Parts: sequence; C-alpha cells; structure tokens
Amino acid sequence: MTPILQGRGLVKSYGPTRALRGVTLTVAEGEILAVTGPSGCGKSTLLHCLAGILRPDAGEVVYRDHRIDTWSQARRSQLRRGEFGILFQYGQLVAELTAAENVALPLMLNGTRRREARTAAMSWLERLDVADVAARRPGEISGGQQQRVALARALVTEPRVLFADEPTGSLDSLAGEQVLGHLVRLARAQQTTVVLVTHDATVAGYADREIVLRDGEVDPTGLGLARGRTVVAR
Amino acid sequence: MRPAALLRLALAGNRTDTVRILLTAFAAALATLSMLAAATVYAIRPRGDAALREAAGLAPTKEGVPGVEPAPDGYAYQYTHNLLVEPGLRPGVALGLLLLCIPVLALAGQSARLGAPARDRRLAQIRLAGATPRQAVAVAVAETGLAALAGTAAGMAAYAAGRVLLHRPDASGRLPLPTDTLPPLWTLLAVGAGLPLLAALSAALLLRRVAFTPFGVARRHRTRPPRPWPGLLILAGIAAFAAVQPVVRAYAWSGRPMPGWVLPVLLGGGGALATIGVVLGTAWISQAAGRVLHRVARSPAALLAARRLMADPWAGGRVFAAMLAAVVVGAGAAGVRAWFTAEFDAREEVSRANARAAGWEYVPGDTSFYTSSLDLVDAAVTVALVIAGLGLLVYLVEGLVSRRRAYAALVATGVPRRTLARSVGWQMLAPAVPAIVLALVVGTAIMRGLVREVRAGSWMQFCTVDDESRCGEGSPFLRTFEIDVVRPVEVPYAELAQVGAVALAAVAVTVGVGLLFLRASTDVTELRTE
Amino acid sequence: MAATSVTPYVILGLLALGPRHGYDLKHSFDRRLPLAKPVPFGQVYATLDRLARDGLVVTAATERAGGPDRTSYRLTEAGRRRLEEWLDAVEPPVPYVAGALLAKVMVALFVAGPERAATYLTAQRAAHVARLRELTAVKTAPGAALPAVIAADFAINHLDADLRWLDATLARVAATRQEARP
Repeated sequence: MTPILQGRGLVKSYGPTRALRGVTLTVAEGEILAVTGPSGCGKSTLLHCLAGILRPDAGEVVYRDHRIDTWSQARRSQLRRGEFGILFQYGQLVAELTAAENVALPLMLNGTRRREARTAAMSWLERLDVADVAARRPGEISGGQQQRVALARALVTEPRVLFADEPTGSLDSLAGEQVLGHLVRLARAQQTTVVLVTHDATVAGYADREIVLRDGEVDPTGLGLARGRTVVAR
Repeated sequence: MRPAALLRLALAGNRTDTVRILLTAFAAALATLSMLAAATVYAIRPRGDAALREAAGLAPTKEGVPGVEPAPDGYAYQYTHNLLVEPGLRPGVALGLLLLCIPVLALAGQSARLGAPARDRRLAQIRLAGATPRQAVAVAVAETGLAALAGTAAGMAAYAAGRVLLHRPDASGRLPLPTDTLPPLWTLLAVGAGLPLLAALSAALLLRRVAFTPFGVARRHRTRPPRPWPGLLILAGIAAFAAVQPVVRAYAWSGRPMPGWVLPVLLGGGGALATIGVVLGTAWISQAAGRVLHRVARSPAALLAARRLMADPWAGGRVFAAMLAAVVVGAGAAGVRAWFTAEFDAREEVSRANARAAGWEYVPGDTSFYTSSLDLVDAAVTVALVIAGLGLLVYLVEGLVSRRRAYAALVATGVPRRTLARSVGWQMLAPAVPAIVLALVVGTAIMRGLVREVRAGSWMQFCTVDDESRCGEGSPFLRTFEIDVVRPVEVPYAELAQVGAVALAAVAVTVGVGLLFLRASTDVTELRTE
Repeated sequence: MAATSVTPYVILGLLALGPRHGYDLKHSFDRRLPLAKPVPFGQVYATLDRLARDGLVVTAATERAGGPDRTSYRLTEAGRRRLEEWLDAVEPPVPYVAGALLAKVMVALFVAGPERAATYLTAQRAAHVARLRELTAVKTAPGAALPAVIAADFAINHLDADLRWLDATLARVAATRQEARP
C-alpha cells in the first residue's frame, strides 16, 4: 500500500509543555488509522500537524510527496478546504447558518455557485440520513445529527484524507455508533484515508490499525500485531 | 461581606476584565469633563465693564446699560468668542456640551458588556462557593462603581489641569475659554459623587435580568423580531417640526401670545422623537438588511453576515444608536446652515437693492458669528461620531473574542481568515449604510418641515436730495422703495454627504481596527481541550 | 472464568517461591489474591493431587510433628516450564476473562517482577484490541441481525472495561519499573 501521509520526527511545544517529542508515522492510502492514548498525550496536536492546521516546531509532514509543513498559511488553508476533510468533537458548525448552508460552505469557499453548492449539500445530507434537518440550525438539532451534518461538511469536497478528532466524544454510544458507521462506510466507498484520534477503545475498533501515543511519543508495543509469543492459555 | 473581600473579588479578573474596567473609567472621565464644561459655561457671570467693551470693539457704554458686573443685559464681554458672550446662546452651548454625554454613555454601556460572559461565569462560581445572589451582584456593581470613581477623579483632575493650562488671556485681558469660572460647589460635588453612584446603579439595573445561579448564568433574551413601529416615531417627529410654522401663524392670526413652552416642546420633542425613532428602527433595518443580503449573497462571507444579522438584529440597534443620533444632529445642523445661508442671502439682496435705490454704499454683513457657531456644532458632531466609533469597536472586539472557539474551528477546517474578516465587514456595513442614509434623510426632513423658503423685505422712504427739509410729506423728492425677496432653502447635499461620509468612515475604520484582533483570536490554541 | 481454572497456576506460582505445605499454600493464596473469594482447603488439596498426578509437583518431605498431616510440596522442572508457558500466554479475549487476567498479573508480579508483568500486559492488550476490531466488524457488517449485534456489543463493552484496566495497570507497573531502576 502506498503511503499517502507521513510524519517524520514531529516535535511541537506549547510554551513549556512539549506535546510531541519526535513522532514518526506513516499512513497508507485508503486505510483507517486510529491514534489512541491517554488524554494529554498529544494526539490532537499530532492531528493538527498532519492536517496542516499547525506547523510543527521540528520534523516534516509529507503529503503525497509534498512537504506541507513548509507551505504558507494560505496554501495549507486551501488544502484543508479541498483535499483534507476535518471533523472535530463539537463546535465546528456555524451556529447562525442552517445545516444545508453549513455543508455548502466549503464548496462555496472554493468558488462553487450557491445553487450548485446547495444541491450537492442536500445530496450529502441524504446520504447521512439527516436531510430532514436541512433547514434547521445546529442549536435546534441533536448532538448526533450535528455530528452527521459536520461529517457531511467534511466529506462534501470529496477529500483524499479525513481527519477526525474524537468525533463521538460528546455523543452517547448509539449516536456515536451511527456516526462512525456512516464515516467508515462512506470512507471505504470513496477510498478516503481516515486518521481517527480517540481515547475510546471501542472507537478505535473501527480502524484497520492503531498507533498508541504516550507522552508525545509513539508507544511501539501498542501496534496492531502483538509482540512475542502469543500462546493462548488452555 | 467585608469591604476588603468585596474589593478583592471585584478586581479579580483577566486581561479582558482589565480592559473593561479601563474603558469604564475612560467613559466616566469623558462624561465628567463634558458635564463640568457644561456647568462652567452655565455658571458664567457676565461682565460688561467699559474696558472690556472697548476691547470687544464696542462703544464703552451701551445706552441705558451701566458698565457694571454682572451686566444686566447678560453679555459677557470677558470672553472673545460670541458663543460665550451672548446670553441667548450660552444655554445652548451648555446643553450641547451636556448632550455629548450621550455618546459617552453609549460607550460606557458597550464597555460594560465586554467580557461579560466570562465575568458572569466567575460570579456564578463565587455563588457556588456560597455567596448569596445579592453578594454576587454586589461584586459586579462594585467593579463598575470603582472604575467610574477612578474615571471621575481623573476627569476632575483633567478639568483642573485644563483650567490652568488653557488660561490664556490676550492683550486686553479677554479669555478664549471660561477658565476663570468655576461651577458652584454643589455641582462639583454632585458630579464627583453622583457619577460613580449613577454608574453603580445602572450596573445594578442592567443585572436585574441576570440570575446568578450556582449552576451558571441565565440571561433572559429578547427573542421578538423587530417591527417597523419606530417609523411612526420618525413621522411624528417630522410632523412636529412641520407644525411649527402653522402653529406660529395661527397664534399670530388669533392675536394671542404664544406660550413660551410651545416652541421648545415642538422642536425638542420632535427632534427627540425622530432621533429615537431612527435608533429603534435600526433593529428592523438590521433584520431587513440581513434578509436582503441572504437572498442576493453569492459569497460565503456575505451569507455568514446575513445569517448573523438575522439571528440577532437587536445588537445592531444598540451599537449604532449613538452614531445615528449624531448623524441626525449633523444633518439637522446642515439644514440649519442652509437656512441661515438662504436667510442671509435674502437679507443681503434686500440691502443691496436698498443701497442701489438710495445711492448708498453697500456694506456686506458679517456672517462669521453664525458660521463659526455652526462649525462648532459640526465639531461636536464629529467628536460624538468618534466616541460612537469607539463604542462600535468595543462591540466588535467583544464579538470576536466571545466567538473565538467557533472561529478557530472554522479556520481549522479551511475557512480562510479573509472570509471571516469580510463577513464581519458585511455584517457591520450592510445595516450601517441604510441606517446612516435614513438618519440623514430624517435630519434633513425635520429641517425641511420647519422651513423651506425664506422671505426678506423692506419698505423705506428716502430723500433724493441732501437737504432733508425738502423731503416732507408728498414731496417729489421723497421716494419710497419696497422690496420683497423670497428664496428657497437649498438642500445641503454637499454637507449631508460629508456627514454621511464621516459616519461611514468611522464604521469602516472601526471594522478595520477590530479585524486586527482576528488573527490573534483565531489561533489554533483555542481548540485545545486537553 | 471462575477461579478454578487459574488455581493450579497460582499454586504453581506460589511453589516457585519455594516448597510449601498445603496449609501455607491456602493462606498464601488468599493473601496474594486479595478481594478474591478465599480458596477452600479442599480445593487446594484436590488441585495439589492433580498437579502431582500430572508430574508438575512432587511431595518434598512429610513431617509428623504430632498433629495433622504436614506434607510439603515442591515444583518440578515440568511444573516450572508449565508455569512459564502460562505466564507467557495471552488469555482469549472473551467477556468473562477478567479474573484470569488479574490472577496472571498478580502471579507474574510476585514470581518474576514488574518487567515480566509489563510484557504480559502489553501482549494481552494487543490481543484484546485485535478481538475488539473483529467484533466491531461483525457489528457493523451490512445486514447484521439484531441478536448478533447485541452479542457483539456485549463483548465489546466488557473488553473495553478490561482494556481500561490493562492500560491503567501498565502505567502503574511502568512507574514501578522506573522506581526500581537506580
């Protein structure tokens, strides 16, 4: 499998706190990768660096042979509008816009005309089973519906890579299951690569592979395959 | 609660709270200055002694008026500017200075809301620690009161300094400003103690709708959509002004003297109604602007702005209030200027015709008094606009700061900061432009309702020969000359455009400065939850 | 899994520390596995008999100091090997495996130390995660019937609880290792 995204020796500090202490990882195209670890271990920071939201203090981020950590703010912003899709735990929908307008926003930012953007938005809302709330505002719909609208917005530009940071963190288990189910199904259908940050093992269960972060470093023993002998007790 | 504890709690806070306290103090200082200036002008004791009159270029003694102090006719010749000399104008000046308090109050009100959510959360936590609701409100009120006290003290210090620094008597001992006068002691005490008390009381009043429960803060919001009823207020104001001439004529025709209160009520009340109508109508304008913008918006920036306007139209009304009031006054002043110009031109024409007919030399009159007075009004309007612009800036920055998490998330998902900046621009300008136009129209309309044309005329008899004794009744050397001039009062488009441009520029500059905060407030560190 | 299936291994572990009487074994057992049900004497002796029959333990000496039979047992080579195998092996991730996990970590700690316990914990965690992935696939398979989804969800929830304990224990054991290092 070809690697589509790589991080090499990523270091990032916030003031005196070192969130990442040299993280190296590779994401293969089309796979769903879970990044797990206890809270405060730097998972979100890693996602922000890989998605081009933040510039790391040291190290490289390579997306399809481009060093995106050297790109300008504007270029990285454009990347996040088009080839990357981003999904947060909450607070990413514009409260004053309707659900349909929220989903149409990235298309409009890329120059699509309002009418076409709206049509595309409606079709995505249907795919995610939330077409009935298209004219409502985020404050008027449930958390699970909000996250599905946010997912639609992340996927509307048909990104190559979807970054999800605790997408079900504020949802109950059934609503979360719905969101993740849609996410995985749609990602597989479009062969979208997914980087999924979570501290919840049941969410990590949806991924093909898992990387464990501890205190800003990759914990190698947490890889998908067990090390050493795995004799099952009788 | 012990006072020391109250003080400690009131002053605990972060940078935003400090800014709020400083702005409150600043507004209090400005209000103090304006009130003291007004009181000083009102307290002027006119002196009409001979030396001053001579210095003013007048005859040493006016007929029948002894040169003593205070001069019974009220003329204060110890000052150089006519606005301070004439007893008919001084109250107007005092009133104008006092009215400058209005935009300052608007600034104070806007500053009080800066960082209010965080402050309210802090107070809710204090309640969680065991304070009673009254104690929680007391903390907030104490903060405002103390800030206002500091500002008032600063304002009084500035006033005292100004009295010393601006005391510049010219060669003949006349002063440009009333730096030799002090308002009576009770006025000083009233301002010094009253302003902080007023600030504290209004803080308490503003908080009465807020319930500081230990679980958080519950603020009851108005969710009524704005209606165009304020339009009626505007029409009433215009009608009041338009009624002045007919009412005056009616009194003249009936022979009864017009009571002294009729004119002030019609003019003052009409002006107030029209201005309040414009201010209240801004909410409806905001929402209408939002709806129109939503329909025609093609860019995401405009769409965002449209939705935001529709979501909270009342905010626009509060924020633009002071500015629009200043614009109405400015438009009215432009109308007054046009009226005076027409009046003066008409009188000059009559004078010229008389001079031509009688063979006299024509001497043009002096309008400098009126024009300089109107210049002062324009200056006051500009100052008010600047202060209103400050209030707008505070509102803008507060909006950015309170939304920073949402904005940061948007930027992270790829929305360029440029789009957010443009949406703020749309959000401010879309309602501002029609509102300013409305204010200009209203200000002009009330003046047009008052007077649309001027008349001047004279009837005189003069001798065609030098020997006046030959100009008796029926003499061929006695000529009669009568002239009647009617001139229309022009609509002062140029000045109106100027007022509108200044107001728009104030909004634009405010938006520009406010957006400098956008980068800082959309930093990704706002997204951290760990 | 009930304590019966881990009892032999705990006893092997206790004997790895040195020969013991059956009486001592019962008390050590209870002491080493606090919060578990106290093991009955009968079960201890029955297990010892079975272990002896399988050649994993032998009787060392018999004292008769006027009183009950005080037979002491010791570990054989075969017994030691079996113990090592068990300590290295990963328990099958199923909903009721928690007791077995606890027993194995405890024994590893008192037999071999924190390093060994960490190795086991890491391997067990990986197995749990793999099983979780499989169960999630079952749950999200298109056309999955409700009973299958419910059963998979049940297992997932229990494994999730185990995983949380595994992670926490790993962190504690790692801290102990840090302290042990000079």
